[in-house]
Amino acid sequence: MRQVPNIAGLCLVLFFAAFPLVYTGGNYDYVMHVLITGFFYAILASSWSMLAGYAGQFSFGHMAFMGIGAYGAALFSHYFYLTAEPTGLCTEYAFFGNWLVIKNAIGVTSTTLTQDCLEQAISGWGDSVKVWRMPVLLGIVLGTVAGGLSGLLVGLLVLRLRAAYLALFTLGFSEIIKAVISAEIDITRGQAGMVLPALFNDGVTILGTEFTRTDKIPPYYAMFFLLLACLLILTWLARSRFGLFVRALREDADAAAALGVNTTRYKVFVFTITTAMAAAAGAVQAHYIQIVTPNMLFLLQMSLVVAMAVIGGVENFVAAALGAIFLQVMLELMRTSFSIGGVTVDMTTWRLVFFGVLLMVVLRFFRNGLIAPLIDYFARAGVAEETIAKRTAKTGETQP
Amino acid sequence: MIHLKVTNLHKSFGGLHVLKGVNLEVNGPELIGVLGPNGAGKTTLTNILDGAIKPSSGTVYLNGRRIDQLQPYEVARAGLGRTFQVTRSFRRMTVLENLYVPALALGHMSQGRALTERATEVLEFLTIDHLRNEYARALSGGQQKLLELGRLLMLDPDVIILDEPFAGVHPKLMEVIYAYIRRMKSEGKAIILISHQMDAIFALSERLIVLNFGELIADGSPEDVKNDPAVIEAYLGRDDEEDAA
Repeated sequence: MRQVPNIAGLCLVLFFAAFPLVYTGGNYDYVMHVLITGFFYAILASSWSMLAGYAGQFSFGHMAFMGIGAYGAALFSHYFYLTAEPTGLCTEYAFFGNWLVIKNAIGVTSTTLTQDCLEQAISGWGDSVKVWRMPVLLGIVLGTVAGGLSGLLVGLLVLRLRAAYLALFTLGFSEIIKAVISAEIDITRGQAGMVLPALFNDGVTILGTEFTRTDKIPPYYAMFFLLLACLLILTWLARSRFGLFVRALREDADAAAALGVNTTRYKVFVFTITTAMAAAAGAVQAHYIQIVTPNMLFLLQMSLVVAMAVIGGVENFVAAALGAIFLQVMLELMRTSFSIGGVTVDMTTWRLVFFGVLLMVVLRFFRNGLIAPLIDYFARAGVAEETIAKRTAKTGETQP
Repeated sequence: MIHLKVTNLHKSFGGLHVLKGVNLEVNGPELIGVLGPNGAGKTTLTNILDGAIKPSSGTVYLNGRRIDQLQPYEVARAGLGRTFQVTRSFRRMTVLENLYVPALALGHMSQGRALTERATEVLEFLTIDHLRNEYARALSGGQQKLLELGRLLMLDPDVIILDEPFAGVHPKLMEVIYAYIRRMKSEGKAIILISHQMDAIFALSERLIVLNFGELIADGSPEDVKNDPAVIEAYLGRDDEEDAA
């Protein structure tokens, strides 16, 4: 019985791994897109579950860290280039026989060619000088590191904050990040957003099959494997002393400290790890959808992640991830409007009402979500019987 | 050799002077009872000893190391453990997991069979081994007291502060706590026992100290303290008062 969650988990992994190869229904690209987005939210929900459900740190700034990862990758790909010759116009440094070029910040303009230092240089060079974009993977790594370092900083700042104060602090942090991105138009292009190269901009060959930059299979597996990597890291952490200590921190930080747990270290550590995961998801998603805007950081997006984790089960990161995928798919399925007795129900709006009702029902009747209790049921199978048997053996009682 | 030395300890909260120059010395395995009416400063003294709050002035040394400015986790690692007046078990963790926390935090054990065996031995001693895989929230109040004591066994400190270990505990479980305290003493621990249960504290303690309004008004054998006029006035009450009552 106790192996049921592991077996079910393995089956789900195999199902999602095989799905793009065996799916033959219609709207292939759309279906893949829904699942890629589901995996993206699953990373956010599971990492938030580790932060809030395991460690008890109710942060509402998770989307801000996702945004830092996304904008980190976007800024890197937008501003940094390698050229074979110096432009003489941009900020540039000699770099292993080539030139590391940092473009000037020109904000939102219709005269890119005349204001963009690199574009000016290229127009002069023609095809005679090679210009390279920075590797997408490097941008994702840098975005992840930027998110993790921001998480480290916020973790240090909120050491003494608990419950509502922590939630409000992180909410404020999130709004500040969004405001800064919106305000710094010269650098971030504000509400106009920044365009990024595709995740596999030059196409990719997997097992002898060539895929173009617009094919869905490569980004599907990129996001899927990122989700698996995050879940594996979270599982390893949860089963190690780290998991034990952050749960003790959640239950009673003072009691944990009195038993020798360095609560400061683990609080900062859990912030850093989980925010780095959110940033990684943001960076990959940014390259997948190829544009970042401040709207990614809307409070509604954070609410969606929280709701996904809560409906799955906030105290179990696997349940939170499954909740995210399930809800993402459900929200898309419920887009189809229908008529009852001549009255058309516009599901593009009403689906959010159903979603809200589901959230309220779960919060009222299933405090640990819909999926986590199932996992708990199987994982703890036989515990009650074992307790009763041992007690009976000890006392000679026949009744539990 | 265990040596805890508290010197001229003061603590004020705003205009409230809670501890007024408390001096205390513990040498070797002793069992010291702490008495005092509500508001006497017992819990404040405990919180200062375990690092949860810092004193306004004064020093605390444990085995030659100053501990009054350390963080609680550093104090625990230095060799001082405590229980809380109101039980603070990790309710959504199993009984075994509760016991693993201090052993792993101190780093003297790693995850594996030895840790499980040690935890099992502790639970058997405390008579709650049948509850090992249950969540702590499923335990009764008395069983949660035992679980707190079990965590201290896993922490294995030199000095143990037990804050009201008998409060709300069934007489049958009290016997287990008595045995626990005697075992700790026989293992060479210094135990500071804070309790309002006069029978228990007089039966167990070799030495009693009494706090009143933040001052240490008596320090001696239970018999001496029982007959100390200042203690009678402040805490125990005079016979004529009892007669009148």
